[in-house]
Amino acid sequence: MIRTEEMILNVGPQHPSTHGVFRLVVKIDGEVITEAKPVIGYLHRGTEKLAEDLQYTQIIPYTDRMDYLSSMTNNYVICHAVETMMGIEVPERADFLRVIAMELNRVASHLVAWGTYILDLGATSPFIYAFRDREMIINMLNELSGARLTFNYMRVGGVKWDAPEGWIEKVRDFVPYMREQLQGYHNLVSGNEIFLDRVKGIGTYTREDAINYSLSGPNLRCTGVKWDLRKNEPYSIYNRFDFDVPVAESGDAFARYHLRLSEIEESLKILEQAVEQFPAEGQILAKVPKIIKAPKGEAYVRIESPRGEIGCYIASDGKKEPYRLKFRRPSFYNLQILPKLLKGENIANMIAILGAIDIVLGEVDG
Amino acid sequence: MLGLAKGLKYTLKNLTREKVTYDYPNKPLPLPDRFRGIQKFYPEKCIVCNQCAQICPTDCINLTGKKHPDPAKKGKIIDTYDINFEICILCDLCTEVCPTEAIIMTNNFELAEYSRDMLFKNLEWLDENDENIRQVNKA
Repeated sequence: MIRTEEMILNVGPQHPSTHGVFRLVVKIDGEVITEAKPVIGYLHRGTEKLAEDLQYTQIIPYTDRMDYLSSMTNNYVICHAVETMMGIEVPERADFLRVIAMELNRVASHLVAWGTYILDLGATSPFIYAFRDREMIINMLNELSGARLTFNYMRVGGVKWDAPEGWIEKVRDFVPYMREQLQGYHNLVSGNEIFLDRVKGIGTYTREDAINYSLSGPNLRCTGVKWDLRKNEPYSIYNRFDFDVPVAESGDAFARYHLRLSEIEESLKILEQAVEQFPAEGQILAKVPKIIKAPKGEAYVRIESPRGEIGCYIASDGKKEPYRLKFRRPSFYNLQILPKLLKGENIANMIAILGAIDIVLGEVDG
Repeated sequence: MLGLAKGLKYTLKNLTREKVTYDYPNKPLPLPDRFRGIQKFYPEKCIVCNQCAQICPTDCINLTGKKHPDPAKKGKIIDTYDINFEICILCDLCTEVCPTEAIIMTNNFELAEYSRDMLFKNLEWLDENDENIRQVNKA
């Protein structure tokens, strides 16, 4: 008779597969997880509290550092919230630049999600391919904003820089290139039998679970809920573009993996149309006062980031700093379902399930 | 097995592709003009308006002014100007608000030092940091 003993295993915070400083305390019985407890907060910087002492323009560089893989959407959500409060109309050219930047960033973010997920499962080369193509996007955004990750590109009422000469053409040329690469990615990994055996049917949850845990983004759409804020509550100029919202039914890790690749395809569609319709000239910044003061009151806006629904709530008492600022950070909410998913799972599936949720710790900890 | 073969085909196709890596640090990294690197400071242009210190989100700029040595001229000139690169996030807001473009970004980004104190850069150091200066500063 083999006697097993319960053991507590500590994973992280310094573990490459946790994608940052995330700690997971798992109770295991043999190879089966009986309880999992996520420990977060190692990267907490108190962005929301810091923002209470900062002017609205000064908060933008702080939002870069929340979800550092898609800073553009973070930049947008804070600017969008202040613009909503002040009733500022953003010039058309600025809107196009914002959408192009956000969609490029979404592709880059999903490429990291794709590459690192496969890396977690033990395959090294797809990660390098993903980073090769991501580098092209990062270089383009570097030319546009002057930084590779922490863009600080958007301002209340528009954007900081106009597109440099030849930049729009570069984006135009990138779209067909990326489409071809995407097919290559599917050839490389999506049909690989070893990979499919590894990820199909693990980390499954139902539509009700997903909604009850307030999951969003690919984590919600993998259960068949067709919910994308770009379509359901169009902001900026997203209603001008023709694109689909990919959904899957199975709700497992493979569905999430596949959705992210499909979303890259949809983003490329948007990029193609945005580049085509890009206005030849126009303002990039609306007329805004030098010191931005949001009027007394409150506002909540939400947009679709690569990881889900990112929201920004501002309560203002009419001063140049917000009275209270709150970000709904999608990674934080998406992570909450992890203990439920891990319970009763084999320990070997732990990283495969965590990776499929695709968290960014800067965002989880805020 | 077909999936594995397809993947292998993609890998083999990439074997002959050109390299995409750079030979950094043996060769300098190509960076766009807008890149936000360590600031260059022009003491003679500064009018001590304090806007850069006020807009800085991390409070890393410290400056003091003194009276103009020429009594006929009004206003102040810069006396000390320090940036603490331990906490500077190179966000570009200081150069954005500067009315005389006395502080601008460069393409230099190598900041590693042996001690934390060395990351306090003073006026002289920032003045001498005059390579790869950004050409276009305002949109």
